[in-house]
Amino acid sequence: MVSDSITNASIHAAPNNNNAARDVGKKKRARSAKLKQCKLDVRREQWLSQGAVKNKDCKAEQNGVVEERKDRNNHRPFGNLGMRPGGGENDGSIHHHHHHDSDLDSNSPNSLTSSVLGSNYSETNFTGSSSSSSSSGGCCSGNITEDDEGGGDDGCLDDWEAVADALAANEKPKNPCLESPPEHDPIAQSGSPQETTIGSDGPSFGVENSKPQCARTIPKASGNGLAWRPDDAFRPQSLPNLAKQVSLPNSNRKHYGCGGVPWAYSGVVSAPSSCPICYEDLDFTDTSFLPCLCGFRLCLFCHKRILEEDSRCPGCRKPYEHEPVEAEASVHGGSLTFRLPRSCSLITRS
Amino acid sequence: MQASRARLFKEYKEVQREKVADPDIQLVCDDSNIFKWTALIKGPSETPFEGGVFQLAFAVPEQYPLQPPQVRFLTKIFHPNVHFKTGEICLDILKNAWSPAWTLQSVCRAIIALMAHPEPDSPLNCDSGNLLRSGDLRGYYSMARMYTKLAAMPKKG
Repeated sequence: MVSDSITNASIHAAPNNNNAARDVGKKKRARSAKLKQCKLDVRREQWLSQGAVKNKDCKAEQNGVVEERKDRNNHRPFGNLGMRPGGGENDGSIHHHHHHDSDLDSNSPNSLTSSVLGSNYSETNFTGSSSSSSSSGGCCSGNITEDDEGGGDDGCLDDWEAVADALAANEKPKNPCLESPPEHDPIAQSGSPQETTIGSDGPSFGVENSKPQCARTIPKASGNGLAWRPDDAFRPQSLPNLAKQVSLPNSNRKHYGCGGVPWAYSGVVSAPSSCPICYEDLDFTDTSFLPCLCGFRLCLFCHKRILEEDSRCPGCRKPYEHEPVEAEASVHGGSLTFRLPRSCSLITRS
Repeated sequence: MQASRARLFKEYKEVQREKVADPDIQLVCDDSNIFKWTALIKGPSETPFEGGVFQLAFAVPEQYPLQPPQVRFLTKIFHPNVHFKTGEICLDILKNAWSPAWTLQSVCRAIIALMAHPEPDSPLNCDSGNLLRSGDLRGYYSMARMYTKLAAMPKKG
């Protein structure tokens, strides 16, 4: 699963693949839209009934606020499909739950915030579109900007997200606090969504979520449903970022590779931040790149150069088993791939 | 080439930062050529080289770090794995066991380790190697010590 996710990311990086993925994503989205709709309706009802009480509780949680932000942004782009680059579909899948929720709730209750968010959104979109064309460069910047926005926008709170959190809280009181544990979840989860992603991208995930929710009607869904658990777990930080990343094809790769947005951040800091060969900073692609089983990491450039020379891992001096391209392909295979995300998460955590 | 230059700059900064950390190694870059380095290493304790300061010359190839730097002793040293005249060093990590993950600093450490643990079976200095292989530790020690005092220690008076 993980491997698939990774490959997906890589695929997205490549422009050609991107297009294909985009097409698939659009179809899926259309389908998912209906599902979302029903999910949204359910949510809305819930919100109307419970929202008043829950909102207060949830507002206290900073995380919720930030995420709300993100959701807003997401939902916006959603409206403007044309604006969104194809690469974003994957993100969309994960975010879909939120999107739905946010859309439902946000529509009526907070028009003001939406306007504010709109500005944010436009901004993000900009970066997204540009980055999408360029493909890989923009991811990092996207994340950073997202955070900044989240921090700055704290002032205006959206209730709908809070409500959603509260609902989740019923079953999982600690949702907001789960930031650290989520690392594991996101990886595992990212794997599944990603798998679907290649074939069905975002929608598949959304479909799963929406079905259970519609049937069960709500509050339980958050706790029980596959859909909600992941969200709740890393909703605080990861969700927002992903949402924004929707427009960025590469961003997908990063997040999945690293198992989530927050990790992506930390990854820069805690993981070997620079290539031991050239001492250049490792970007997210490099960070999620594990060419040798010994765990020795290096940047893709150096890896390529080494392959052209003696083709031995600098860490263990064993010959690289695969060519660089094959290595990524081998990711499909599974064993090697699996290691990537996990090791990544470990490093980041430490 | 550009990569090697960039990396050497980084190593230079690293060295400046770690100067205090490793008192046994002093690594300096040539003022005008970043591919030329000089290192001063202290002979490891409990060896005939103790108390000596040995100068190493690094010639870094443009393919560095994919290719190992060429290192040789500028200071005369009596050691089975160091050519007595040229100062050439027989050390696997400077040849086929080189890894781009090594740095000039780590090469210095490896050479210090080599000084403490000679490999008489692959000698560049046959006299030295033969002394060790024949089990004449005392002969080896005294010879190495003599050359250390002659070449690597400040002259007294």
